This record gives sequence, C-alpha cells and structure tokens, in this order.
Amino acid sequence: MKYIEKLAKIDRRIIYLILFLTVLLPYLFKISLPMKPLPEVVQAYREIDRLPAGSVVMISIDYDAASMPEVQPMLYAILRHCFSKDLKIIMLGHWPLGIPLGIAALEDVAKEYGKKYGEDYVFLGYRPGVAAVMINMGKEIRSVFREDYWGTPLDSLPMMRNVHTYDDIAILVGFEAGSTGDYWVQYAQARYNQKIILGGTAVVAPDWYPYLQSRQIVGLIGGLRGAADYENLVHHKALAYYGMTPQAAVHILIVIFIILGNIGYLALRRRK
Amino acid sequence: MKREVPIAITFISGVLLVIAFFIPHEPFGSLEQRFNDWYIIVSGFALILGIDSLLLHHWNKVSRRSKDWFHSLSLIIAFFVTLIWGFYSGIKTGHFLSAQSTFRQYFYMYVFVPLQATMFSLLAFFIASAAYRAFRADRFEAALLLFSAGIVMLGRVPLGNAVAPYMVGLVFLIFAYLLYSDGRKEVDPTRRYLKIGGAVLSLILIYPVGWFFLHYTAQTAGWIMNIPQLAAKRGIFVGIALGGIAMSLRIILGIEKTYLR
Repeated sequence: MKYIEKLAKIDRRIIYLILFLTVLLPYLFKISLPMKPLPEVVQAYREIDRLPAGSVVMISIDYDAASMPEVQPMLYAILRHCFSKDLKIIMLGHWPLGIPLGIAALEDVAKEYGKKYGEDYVFLGYRPGVAAVMINMGKEIRSVFREDYWGTPLDSLPMMRNVHTYDDIAILVGFEAGSTGDYWVQYAQARYNQKIILGGTAVVAPDWYPYLQSRQIVGLIGGLRGAADYENLVHHKALAYYGMTPQAAVHILIVIFIILGNIGYLALRRRK
Repeated sequence: MKREVPIAITFISGVLLVIAFFIPHEPFGSLEQRFNDWYIIVSGFALILGIDSLLLHHWNKVSRRSKDWFHSLSLIIAFFVTLIWGFYSGIKTGHFLSAQSTFRQYFYMYVFVPLQATMFSLLAFFIASAAYRAFRADRFEAALLLFSAGIVMLGRVPLGNAVAPYMVGLVFLIFAYLLYSDGRKEVDPTRRYLKIGGAVLSLILIYPVGWFFLHYTAQTAGWIMNIPQLAAKRGIFVGIALGGIAMSLRIILGIEKTYLR
C-alpha cells in the first residue's frame, strides 16, 4: 500500500520534467496524427468558402503574444483561405499589443499570394474604446478610422471606396483571447446583423457555444485543435497541425497524472 | 455639487443612450455617435492616465527603496527603452511598425514576443502540477466533474478515442479493487455483499464502457460541450446580463454611487 500512497506525492519537478519531454519528443520526431475536423470549424470554413470573389472580410486582432501559439496559426490559415479565393481583407485590432502580429501575418500571406496593399487588403490599426468603435463602425467606418494605420486617407485606397458600414462587409472574423468576441456579438451582430466567425484560445472558446447554437455566430475555431482543423481544410498543414501531437500527448499525460493522484489520495484516505 | 453634477451627467447620458438605442433616428441617432466619439477620445486619455499612475507608483517604490524596488526600476527602464526605441524607429522609417523598423524587427519580435510567450507557456507546467494535486474525486460532484473533464480533454485530441478506453478501464479497475477490499473488511453481511457485488459489476462493465469510449469519445466530448456545458454557460450569461441591467439602472438612477469615490 505504501507504494500506492506514494502516487499522491510525486515531486513537482518530476512532473515538470515528464511534461517537458512529452512536449519535446513529438516535435523532434515530427509525429503527426490523423484528425477529423470539428463541425464548428467546418461550418466556419464553408461560410468563407461560399463567398464570391471580391467580397470583403473584416479581421479583428484581439489577442497578443501570450496567445500567439494558438491563435496566430488560425489567422494564417484564414488569410490563406481568403486570399486564395480573391477575397478582400480589412484588418483592425482592439488589443494594441497584438497589432504587430496582425501586420506580420497579413504582409507574409499577401506576399505569398501576390496581393497589393490598398487593392486587396487594408490595415486600419487600433482605436481605443472597443464597444464605441464597434457601434460607430456600423454607422460609418470613417467616423472611427479616417485613415489607415499608415496614415493614408481611406478614400484614397481603391478597396475602401465602397466600404462604409457593416453592410459592405460579408463576414467579420474575430480572433480572440479575451471578452472582445462577446462585444462583437453584442454590438456588430445583435445591432447590425453582421455575420461573425470567432476564433480564439481553448480557454475562451467554450464561452461561444451558446452564440453558435443561437446562430449569432456562423462558425467557431477553438484552440490549437480548431487552428489545426482549419489548416487541414485549406490543405496547408503548418504549426497548429504539427502542434496537435504534443498537445494530445500532454492531455493524455495530465489525465494519467489525475488518475495517479486520485489512486494515491484514495489509498491515503482509506488508511486514515 | 461634487456629487450632484456627476450624478446628473450620468443620468442624462444614460437615459439619452437608452433612448438612442430604441429610437435610432434624428436627433438621437447622431447623438449616440457623438457620445461614442467622446468615449473613444476619453478612452485614449485614460491610457495616458494609466501610464502616469503606473510610473508614479513604481517611481515611489524606487525612491523609497521599498521591498523589490529593483523590479520597479526595471519596469521604468523597460518603459522608457520601449518608448524611445519606438519613437526613434518611427522617425527613422516613417512608422514605428513599418517593415524596416528595428523596433518591430528586434524589440517586438525578438524581445517582447518570446518574453510574453514564455510567461504563458509556464502555465502548462503549473496546470499539470495543479491538476495532479487538486483534482480529487472526494465527492460525487467532484468525481462527475473530473470524469467529464477527462473525457473532454481526451475527446478533443487525435489520440483520444484510442486512449480513452484504457483510462476508463483503469478507473473502473481501481474502483472495483477499492470496493472489493472495503467489502472484505465489512462486518455487516448486506453491506459486504453490496460492495463485493459493486466490485464485480465494475469489472463486468469495463468491456462495454471501454468499447463505447473506443468509438464515441469525441462524440461524448462534443455532447458535453454542446449540451450540459452550454446549458450552464447560458444560465450564467443570462444571470450576468440581468445583473448588468440592474447595476446600469442603479447607476443611471443615482442609487449606486460607489463610482464617485
């Protein structure tokens, strides 16, 4: 029984070491596992896929570097999907520290597909005041963003000439690591009937299932799994897809640790 | 006057915005837009206030040589290095985040991003350790929560279906062993047979339950996320919304005055 009781007292440094190796080894040996995309991700993919060429997609960067490993691969996958279908992109953000991540992804993927700034994509940048920004954009985008992020007046950008309100935007994709996604639903969807897809960390994604069921959002990309599914759907397997094996291994490891901890705990409790 | 004027401003602004929501026509429609413009401007200045407060707080710690003053000093230095580097890059390349900007290339991408990502990555270690120590099936509700969490964790990853039967089988096996060893020590024959019977039932159930999870772990995880999880979330959302409305009304009507302090 003593050995079983020891299971309740594994040193945390051993746990850290095993966890570290569990993450590292699948990356070193590049092991990948087959996955069937989640229905909510397929739904998001189809909504974008059925848009006609030239439609405008607005992307909001509402995360920063802390959530980058989960959310950035989603952004790349969606951008690849949009540019491959000749959709126009307007990007903005409500998290100032995440703005450079959006710029980097937009420039990378635009270069990959030979897209031109001002004609195929525009970066609006950041304005403080989250809810007020969302409400005013429903009346006129220029009331909030007179110029793009680089100081060019919006009317001098060919792509923006006919884009004024949410009515001119086919889908809004919010990449989230906090509660900004809720604001998009409350203001852009509820007030202006804007179609929304939300993508975000695995921590915040469960909060959006009620919106998905009530059709207030038309797609949900949650966590690294969601990102990997989207990469799979656009046939461009990258960081998220290869990150799923370490994540699967860690999930299994944590479940094993929980079972071991409980065996030890039960053994101790019985003795007491 | 110090209290009456802010309460009057809050009341008038609140009532006008509520009217503007339900009557989005002139003059209320443009009034809402004007209010939002002001809000955006005030939010911008709030950032400056926040910076001022942060720097003042840490400068006081440094000047008084309070405990861990060195961390405060590093914050102040980091703040000014970021600010000066950003301005310098902005002036040199036209925008502090332009493709040629050293601020973006070096400071943001190679200093800020790895630091923030590292801080967040450490959570994986803490979560693993905390899950091992804190998730105890000491009550029925806790066991149910633990079981659901385990199924969702396994159901959302590629290997979940293959691994879940073994995990569930192990849990049933342990449960059977505990029931059997408890039952053996029982003096009351009814309780003894019940416990030993429970142990036998657990052993019998290993195969069908294992078979179920071999085929349906992902679906079970989806069901947990879409039905019980969603029902609880919706209840919480409705509660929060009602609480928000009640609090807003209290503020607009001047009943809640804590924001004036």
